[in-house]
Amino acid sequence: MKFATSPHLDALCGEYLLGTLRGAARRRFERALNDEPLVALRLRHLETLFAPRYSEMIKMEPSPLLWKRLDHELQLSRYRPRWDRSLGFWRAWAVATTFGLLTVMAVQVLLPAWFPAELVEIARLESKDKGVTLYAELSKDQRTLRLRAPRPVLAGPAQSYELWLLPVGGGAPLSLAVLGTLDVSISLPERQAAGLRTGAKLAVSVEPAGGSPTGAPTGPVILVGEVRT
Amino acid sequence: MLDNQEIKRLIIATGLRGENSAAAFEALYRLCAPLLLGVARRLVGRRELAEEVLHDSFTRIWRSAASFNPTSAQPLAWMVTIVRNRAFDVLASHDVSRVDALDAEDYADDGGGLFDWSLDPEQGLEQQRNARHLRDCLATLQAAERQTLTLAYAHGMSHSDLAVHLQKPLGTVKGWIRRGLANLRGCVERKMEGAR
Repeated sequence: MKFATSPHLDALCGEYLLGTLRGAARRRFERALNDEPLVALRLRHLETLFAPRYSEMIKMEPSPLLWKRLDHELQLSRYRPRWDRSLGFWRAWAVATTFGLLTVMAVQVLLPAWFPAELVEIARLESKDKGVTLYAELSKDQRTLRLRAPRPVLAGPAQSYELWLLPVGGGAPLSLAVLGTLDVSISLPERQAAGLRTGAKLAVSVEPAGGSPTGAPTGPVILVGEVRT
Repeated sequence: MLDNQEIKRLIIATGLRGENSAAAFEALYRLCAPLLLGVARRLVGRRELAEEVLHDSFTRIWRSAASFNPTSAQPLAWMVTIVRNRAFDVLASHDVSRVDALDAEDYADDGGGLFDWSLDPEQGLEQQRNARHLRDCLATLQAAERQTLTLAYAHGMSHSDLAVHLQKPLGTVKGWIRRGLANLRGCVERKMEGAR
């Protein structure tokens, strides 16, 4: 049957929009909508005539699960940008990022504790009476200087210790660090590390809290030793 | 107020099946699902059935978006028709009795709150004019025609539902619907012609 030429076309379109065209009759009409462009055209015309505005009052929020179900069943992830395709992607990203962060932490924090950098003793600093000895050790990459005291040596509350490099051939002492204890590791800038060579000396002075106010030793030098590399 | 131009744009983007189609479809869902759920709830009476209708309807919308006619002026009406037809199928398969559930308010000639006949300045001029013509023309119908059309549209009553509800022979009800639709179409078309 050709619906497009039917004298009942408007009545059928009207009943389709009204909702009283049911069952097999509706399915036949829907097939005609696909197959006969004139039928679809006529229906669109009547849709324009019978276009009431729906009241906002009837709105109801659907359950959030409904969208998730549609998303899953219709496999919508296939129609998203590649980077945004799946919750799985973001989960994997989160896991990878967390793993990466933990790895960096392990390298920076744990590994030095498990595998301390190999240190080489370069000087023994001694007091005048030889009663106290402080071992100075340098890492192979010459970036870390470790001071190791056989027993704890702590500065008083109004004092700091200051470690000095006395360069080979004289010259002004170069401050390497202001310390509260003599059992520490110090990161050395390259320029300072270059000065730690045979013939230079390391010394520790007692300074006011916070270090020498002048940039040169102002208090008594309590420990001194020669560098041997 | 739902914007038909925006709805049309989202339906077309959904039908393109590109990498932005899922986002367009989701935006379409967020925009229209609350109203369409309200339409479905009016027809099937129970929320869980209405959600089932909404689910099936959006599945159909996803699959049919590519064949949506972009010249259509009423994309929301296209979606509403999908929802309504799915609701009728669900009603038929679930043996849901809605006739008994209707109360006095549902008999109202204005669709029992389904429609908003007030003027909305956000609507286009033509849409405003068409809605006004429809409202005015409904008022000119005979009371039985108007009531039959309103009950059928707003509450999804079939011919036989209407016959039972109005306690009239099936043939009488079908006649009211046929004449009511023809009179309504003729009236609105005349008003539209007069407005040009």
